[in-house]
Amino acid sequence: MTRRLSFAQWLAVSWLLLVVVSACIAPTSSPVPDLLHTQEPPFQDPHWLGTDPLGHDVLQLLLAGARTTLLISIPTAVLASLLGGAAGSVAGFWGNSTYQVQRASAAAGVIGAVIALLFIPQLRTNPFPVGLVIGVLSCTVYYALRRTSWGQRQIAVPIDSMVQALIALLDSIPLLLLVLAIAAVQRPSSMGLVVLLVLTCWTTPARLLRAVTLRTKALLFVEAAVVAGLPTLRILRYHIWPNTWPVLLIRLPLSIAIIIGLETTLSFLGIGLAPEVASWGRLLASIRVAPAAWWLLVWPGAAIFFTILSLHTLVSTKITGFDKHLDVTK
Amino acid sequence: MKRILFGLLLLLWSSITGCSPSATSATPDTVRIRWARDPENLDPLIANNPSSYEVSTLLHCSLLNISDTGRNIVPWLAAASPQVERLGDSLMLVSYSLRPEATWDNGKPVVAQDVAFTLKMMNCPGLPTEMDQAMFHFIQDIRLDTTDSRRFTLVCTGQSSDYVRNSGDFSILPEYALDPKGSLRSVSIRELRSGAATAYASVTSFVQRYQAAQLAQHPDNLPGCGPYQLKNWQPGRFLTFTRKLKWWGDALAKAPPILRAVPKSITYQIIPDAGTAMLALRRGDIDLYPLMPAAEFARLRRSDADRARLSFYTVDSYECVVANFNTRQPTLQDRFTRQALSALFDVPGLIRATQQGAAYRSASIVSPRVHPYYNDSLPLPTYDTQQAITLLRKAGWREVNGQGWVRKQAGKLLELRLSLSYRAGDPALEAAALQFRAAATAIRIPVDLRPTEASLLVQQLREGTTEVSLRSIGGNPAAYDFTPLFHSNSTSLYNYSGFGTPASDHLIEAIVQTPDTAQKTRLLRRFQRLLYTERPIYVLYFLQYRIAAARRLGRVPVTSIKPSYRANAIDFSPVTK
Amino acid sequence: MGRYLLFRLGRTVLAAWGILSIIFLLTRWAATDIGLQTLQDAPTLGRGLSVGEQTRIAQQVRQRYGLDLPVFYLSVLTSDTDTPAWHPHWHWNGTRNQYHRWLRGVVQGDLGNSYREGTPVTKLLLQALRYTLPLTVSATFLATISTVLLASWVNYYNRWRGLVLAILHGIQALPLFLVALGLLLLLANPDALNWFPAFGLGDDTEQYSSWSEELLQYLRHLVLPVFSLLLVALPGFVVQLDGAMQQELREPYVATARAKGAPPVQVVRKHVLHNALLPVLPLFTELLPSMVTGSVVVEMVYALPGMGRLFVEAAAQQDLPVLLGVVLLVAIARLASQLLADALYQWADPRIRLHI
Repeated sequence: MTRRLSFAQWLAVSWLLLVVVSACIAPTSSPVPDLLHTQEPPFQDPHWLGTDPLGHDVLQLLLAGARTTLLISIPTAVLASLLGGAAGSVAGFWGNSTYQVQRASAAAGVIGAVIALLFIPQLRTNPFPVGLVIGVLSCTVYYALRRTSWGQRQIAVPIDSMVQALIALLDSIPLLLLVLAIAAVQRPSSMGLVVLLVLTCWTTPARLLRAVTLRTKALLFVEAAVVAGLPTLRILRYHIWPNTWPVLLIRLPLSIAIIIGLETTLSFLGIGLAPEVASWGRLLASIRVAPAAWWLLVWPGAAIFFTILSLHTLVSTKITGFDKHLDVTK
Repeated sequence: MKRILFGLLLLLWSSITGCSPSATSATPDTVRIRWARDPENLDPLIANNPSSYEVSTLLHCSLLNISDTGRNIVPWLAAASPQVERLGDSLMLVSYSLRPEATWDNGKPVVAQDVAFTLKMMNCPGLPTEMDQAMFHFIQDIRLDTTDSRRFTLVCTGQSSDYVRNSGDFSILPEYALDPKGSLRSVSIRELRSGAATAYASVTSFVQRYQAAQLAQHPDNLPGCGPYQLKNWQPGRFLTFTRKLKWWGDALAKAPPILRAVPKSITYQIIPDAGTAMLALRRGDIDLYPLMPAAEFARLRRSDADRARLSFYTVDSYECVVANFNTRQPTLQDRFTRQALSALFDVPGLIRATQQGAAYRSASIVSPRVHPYYNDSLPLPTYDTQQAITLLRKAGWREVNGQGWVRKQAGKLLELRLSLSYRAGDPALEAAALQFRAAATAIRIPVDLRPTEASLLVQQLREGTTEVSLRSIGGNPAAYDFTPLFHSNSTSLYNYSGFGTPASDHLIEAIVQTPDTAQKTRLLRRFQRLLYTERPIYVLYFLQYRIAAARRLGRVPVTSIKPSYRANAIDFSPVTK
Repeated sequence: MGRYLLFRLGRTVLAAWGILSIIFLLTRWAATDIGLQTLQDAPTLGRGLSVGEQTRIAQQVRQRYGLDLPVFYLSVLTSDTDTPAWHPHWHWNGTRNQYHRWLRGVVQGDLGNSYREGTPVTKLLLQALRYTLPLTVSATFLATISTVLLASWVNYYNRWRGLVLAILHGIQALPLFLVALGLLLLLANPDALNWFPAFGLGDDTEQYSSWSEELLQYLRHLVLPVFSLLLVALPGFVVQLDGAMQQELREPYVATARAKGAPPVQVVRKHVLHNALLPVLPLFTELLPSMVTGSVVVEMVYALPGMGRLFVEAAAQQDLPVLLGVVLLVAIARLASQLLADALYQWADPRIRLHI
């Protein structure tokens, strides 16, 4: 199973390792501005990579930025891809008519939701007892209807439409507005930012996977599997996913780049990471204050570039390996 | 086929890049100025941003204007400074006489009836002029002189000398353009304010005429008595003004700067991004770049090539950056804590880092450039962590085994932990915030930075939910009415620090009331000392405005008040250096 | 087919209505009070104005914008009212509410007036589109063409593939504002190459001898903004299309095509490209909404008053009618693009059946 890594892949692995190591050794306290040494060009003792317009040492900022990338940007991109991938394949596979539920449970769910909506104020003040009452009510509806012939009939859940509507909803609210609205209530913490970004960025992977799943579903071997009566999860796991997930994987380095860029923009708007948290994106953005300071462009730019390139190189390796596996099964 | 395509592409490329001149050379009498934003609304009564104010000064004239240094008022449409008479203890009469030379575009003279029309128009119910209604609410009535059609008296409630200046601070509009029949003459200002006037047919028909004129987008429907008229406006791109061929100001023998109009045309280019604007200036696409970022200004000034083409000006402004302590918060209730926290700002360092040294310090909210009023006996606070610790101990805080500071307050143990709010995206404020945080963390005061979006920040400040905040205050050197900023009655509006004691309230009122300069100086100095010890706000520094201009403009007349230059008085006279 | 389209259209309109309603309610609830905002704008005010006067003026502003009405048909009652606990705490406001008025206006094609400028929102949108569309349409057109060309090229000349992809990833690493500023500093700088104008679309002081010269000037001004948009869009597309093509190249049908002697260029162009485009299609249809929204950064840097700037300025100053107008336009474009995507799937791969 072990394969030899090429030179480029070795480089990629070592760069990523370097990022991980720098994330570990980066100082934990936020850097102290040195107002006497602002915008110093690089290659001078003690600031070998120069300083930014506030007199922070660029090297320290880069190290701290590596940790931010490792702990925020990459997890966000991965989570968003996974969430989007799951939603997209489910929507593409089940479509609007394949997934069916009993009318009884659908009715119980709808009734419960309507009552909950009506009693939002009470739910907000004392959630537990009111929630319990609503839960008991919808359970009663379910058990009452389960026996009737009406309740036993199946209706299709339009999963595809639902997912698509959600995508349309999220994409039509410009991200900026959404984040501003949320920030108006509560400024997100770092964890909150991850959740926020995941919840808004999953749409592109979802659309991609929906498209490719639609296509795979139409292939003969999948139809054969469906006709053979294999369980849905099994079909998804063994027949659909192996053919669809490379699309997601190719997208991943791009997603990470987009997240880094997005985080820069948000930081610039003052909603992103707290101002004392260093990030590569923020370092790049500081060139707006000091357009002549090339070192603020070159170092973080190079760091982002190499990270994305390394991820891309490794991802291509994976895909090649995956295809070999596919050839064997065919 | 491929070769033909390639040839075509090459041809297109060369025609796009090659054929035209690098930068359009401007015609001699025109000035091109950079604006960061569009004025959006050109109705002189709705003007609410710096760009639209500037448009108003080109198209219209007010009664009074502020001198270049910003300290004195100069007559503009008024023939001389107004005569003031104080009646009883709350009323004031301000009498004006208009310049006899002043005429409208149709040749008719500007008369007191036009002033009355303007006041009635801004108070007309149903018009979107709420801001002006609030600002000129103190003008109760206008009395026209029966013998001289150019003389009139404004009846004002309140006797502050600021009101005198404010009473001449609105554009005078022509009655003939919007109300040719004089239908508003029979309605009084009081009736208009009370809302009873909506019953009059003349008022409703006037409102309809006003709305039909669409003054926000078509200022030519309201020709002013200023020297310029709008020639072209592409919203978001540029505005071009041309000088009127015949203008009444030409007849003046010795015109003050505000009544000069030299450039034949003035174009404002709207360039939001500072980097692009810088490039445009260096390419010669614009002639004047006001309020330039400090670092770029310093860099251009050092370059020989740019010094040959451009001239540089700095002018002391009255705008200051302050740290605001919300005295309503339990941690910030006592003055020693506030003093201790202000010792954590490294102001000289911040001036050096964010303003390239081009800013000046002050111990009080009054600018040190305002000579008798500034209290020069106050020492400038220093950046001193040790002193901060001493002051914190004095305020009752004690350190808990190197973890942080606590004190007993109202029976509870209170921890010293602060949030610092400021407008997001402002690099100078962010620098100050980060510096403060680093200094505070060094003596174990946890500080939570909260960059906030502008309108949200204003809301939080007004509700009093912030703790420490950074903001800039656009000061006015001629105004010494501190009621909005520090009076305890304004805590729901502009007094963001929530400060106010009976003694300070009394002092503020006394400063407003006194007409005597010596007395005012004494009171102002006392008030500054009071602010210095109480420290509801801490003035970090006063800004300098930076202007870079093409040399062909000659010596650019710069002012301490925004927009920081007088476009109408740029005279292209060669600079001798 | 006609019935299918009609059904889709109906659903689309319904979805647009839902989206807009949610955003309408969100923005109305999140916005700060515009009445007090007006008072805040006046620099020298506050004196002599009693609290009563202040509330009167604030109320007048709210009334003018119709903000004095309740937001929605229903509003939550405060808990201290004496309704019994089992009773829903909702109050019915009737049709006199902001949402109803706004919706009625939208149905009649009236999006209201901007708070800041007093002009109809539709006019502002059209004005902004006039600047945005030429920019984005040409950028999209060029991006699509160059993506297909570049992806086919690297799959045919395989040895360049690594280098090209590496360069594209490098570009991807740069935020748009850096690309735009970089191009400006490189190609419109008197110190470097002074080929293009720095901003705007030329001003009216220039006199043109003929329309062709005017058109040329216009194009000259468009080159840099279009090019920065193109540079930023390209990596994503090419990488994705290239990935899909690499996968297709391993399919048996490619081997068949090669075996029967089809030239490699033909294989890539005729067979692989067609199949590889399918998973990438949503990326292209996704361009339609972004064509409408424009790009704030490019419009800021090159001083073009397009949709992006309109939206950001409206958001910063809480100009709600403009904000909603832009969102409406984006929602319509988004839904249209989904319709388009589905239609394209069917066209590209008839095996896919979309069920109603």
